[in-house]
Amino acid sequence: MTTTATDIRSSGAGGLRSWLERYPFLPALVILLALLALNGVFSPNSLSFRSLTGLLSTYMALVMLAIAQTYVVSAGDIDLSAGATLSLVNVAIVVLMERWGGGAGAVLLALALGVLIGLACGLVNGIVVAALRLQAIVATFATSIFFTGLALYVMPVAGTPAPALFWRTYGGRLFGVPFVFYVLAVLAVLLYLLSRTRMVTELLAVGDDQQAAYQTGLPVVAVRVKGYLLCGLFSALAAFCLTGDTASGDPLVGGKMTLYSVAAVVLGGSALAGGWTTVVGSLLGALTIGLVNSLVFFMGTPSEWQNFVQGLAILLVLMAGVLAGRRARA
Amino acid sequence: MSKLRLNGVSKAYGATLALRRGDLEIAAGEVHVLMGSNGSGKSTLCKIIAGSVRPDGGHILINDKPVIISGPQAARVAGIGIFYQELSLASHRSVEENICLSALPVRAGLFIDRQALKARAARYIALFSQVAGEGFHAEALVGNLRADQRQLVEIMKALVSEAPILIFDEPTSALDRAQVDRFFEILRGLKAQGRGIIFISHRMDEITAIGDRVTIIRDGETIETLKLSETDPGTVIRLMVGGASDMPAARSSAPAVVEAQAEAAISVRNLSGKGFRDVSFEVAKGEILGLGGLHGQGQSALLRAIFGAGTVTSGEVAIGGERYDAKSPRDAIRRGCAYVSGDRGRDGVISGRPIIENVTPVHYLRDRLMIARPSSLRDKAIPALEAMHTKFASLFHPINSLSGGNQQKVIIARWLIDRPDVLLLDDPTKGIDLQAKADLFALIRQLAAEGLGILLYSSEDAELLGNANRILVFNGGSVTRELTGDDRTRYNLYQAAYEAA
Repeated sequence: MTTTATDIRSSGAGGLRSWLERYPFLPALVILLALLALNGVFSPNSLSFRSLTGLLSTYMALVMLAIAQTYVVSAGDIDLSAGATLSLVNVAIVVLMERWGGGAGAVLLALALGVLIGLACGLVNGIVVAALRLQAIVATFATSIFFTGLALYVMPVAGTPAPALFWRTYGGRLFGVPFVFYVLAVLAVLLYLLSRTRMVTELLAVGDDQQAAYQTGLPVVAVRVKGYLLCGLFSALAAFCLTGDTASGDPLVGGKMTLYSVAAVVLGGSALAGGWTTVVGSLLGALTIGLVNSLVFFMGTPSEWQNFVQGLAILLVLMAGVLAGRRARA
Repeated sequence: MSKLRLNGVSKAYGATLALRRGDLEIAAGEVHVLMGSNGSGKSTLCKIIAGSVRPDGGHILINDKPVIISGPQAARVAGIGIFYQELSLASHRSVEENICLSALPVRAGLFIDRQALKARAARYIALFSQVAGEGFHAEALVGNLRADQRQLVEIMKALVSEAPILIFDEPTSALDRAQVDRFFEILRGLKAQGRGIIFISHRMDEITAIGDRVTIIRDGETIETLKLSETDPGTVIRLMVGGASDMPAARSSAPAVVEAQAEAAISVRNLSGKGFRDVSFEVAKGEILGLGGLHGQGQSALLRAIFGAGTVTSGEVAIGGERYDAKSPRDAIRRGCAYVSGDRGRDGVISGRPIIENVTPVHYLRDRLMIARPSSLRDKAIPALEAMHTKFASLFHPINSLSGGNQQKVIIARWLIDRPDVLLLDDPTKGIDLQAKADLFALIRQLAAEGLGILLYSSEDAELLGNANRILVFNGGSVTRELTGDDRTRYNLYQAAYEAA
């Protein structure tokens, strides 16, 4: 009896395995669809176009941050300062937009500066981790405190509002289509282009086996720094989405998002050890976290129990995803 | 004019002198063999040339011009391509990406030129298309390939550099005969183009087949360079081992094997699983049963399955007459099964940890040890290590500080603290030097004499012929022939292995 069981499993896993190799985000996708269905059961209204758009614009920031995290994880590193970078960019652009009058020119200029700030944060991390060879997890923890400090200097108290032009655009519609869908489309193109670059392949090769990559002749330090630069860039983009959604500056807003972004990366099917990542998975992982949160809300969980249920639900989803992946790979 | 010349190159890791004085001269159009026992400094020498290790002293000249090789990328630019013994592959990348990884073709300076990459990789994949085996194609992930196929990828990766100087540090250790033959054909072609090739192997027959000159390195020092046509294996080995010239000749002599006792140590009936099918045999106590044949014909899969690390779909295994189905290696170890793999990095070494921790894990398990006292562990570890003539500075040095051969001895020593009943050897001498091989086989015979049942798979026919009482020849996952007594000849072994291949 045992023998037949092994037979079935091994042959079944063989097919699934090649699928998973090609699309490592499949478990995340299945979980996402299941959560959507559950949301529909508890509150049919939550599946309306309007609420889904709302969900997307709320969690777009986490999607961006999870993608940012994915690129450093690809190279076998991690960035615990991604959330702090987000906060810093958030407060910086809000202050700049306000100071420059809140017109279209001011907004664009502030966004350009925001990108530069994100890249600068990435560069600092890259130098500290790759060039100075400090442990990524500790070094970026330290820089996160440092970036938070800067953010608090820029805006000591939360609450400065962003110009109406900015958040109305983000939350509004363009040619009848919600703006956030344009963001998603641009993101998709960007991710596609990035996936074709030499940089990303080299990131993955470094994350796979750093020594082997070095012996192959890859500039390992430069590659890892580029990973952190990409992370900084996407953290800045995350900050734009967040600012569009909350319409205000908050120097501490990103702190708790950092570990959510790591969780989203793992949920999506990437290996934290590096070399094996999927940005599409991270996108789905971030939305999964968003859906878990909304599900907890729609289930009518009492407010004091919401964190508890949220944590439990994420743990369950993580387990389901990891077990599915492990079984298929075994 | 010499293509490459090394004068007095040296390298020390902390207090260990890996290379004392490396001298080497490579001419255009030659295959230059480096010989020396493991830990003698061959690999260090190669890595210095390839730029992945910085020398402490000495000079490197390319085409008689002094150069400083600052890193692997600089070595590529200087015209050096290398095959790394431990491979330099990214396991989650595809074969073609790995082949081209050191210089990915790009468009607009940013995007990978997929077509150029495919075309470039395809040229080198085609070189081995006849012998690469099942499942080998351009888009396969390297991590899913067999060991010999991964080695082929590393060969292609060295070849794609089209460098005038090519280094092959044990490129054939996992290859089967057909693959080696094909590789040598290619090497001869490169030789004819005037490339300078450095070649390292522990197989004497390969060295005489392909080499023009040989440089012998002992204890980090270049001893001598000889023309292979003017010397004989005996001389080379004597130079390699220095004073102790009496040793490995025994390896090629008549199989001095112990007499088996009547009782079965392990019996396997109609065992099938992933990679092998319907295998039956019995190993008596004190017997060494050899598993022969080409690479990847199910020998390793069978050994791993018996050890609980592979899949068994039907059939049964009995140890000491008692039926047992290992569900995990943990299970197998408790039942007195020991397994030593040639792939130390994957199956044996606990990387970065001290030697003592590498010797004792099996003891922890078999003794159900909860709290360890270093002093009592040391008393158990030292005799086991000494039985293998292991060279080590202290039990608390990391295992990575040892040479490949000595690492393997530590791995074997871990099974000697609590005697197993059955020893499964899965190509245990892969990439270890002749001295260590001799030590290992002396020990294996002694263990057999003490009543262990031993299953030995080796990719080197001489090891099987010299040590096994019987040899089962595998082909396509099942046993096609059993060689006993006077049938155990090289001819029969070749013939049976190639029958259906």
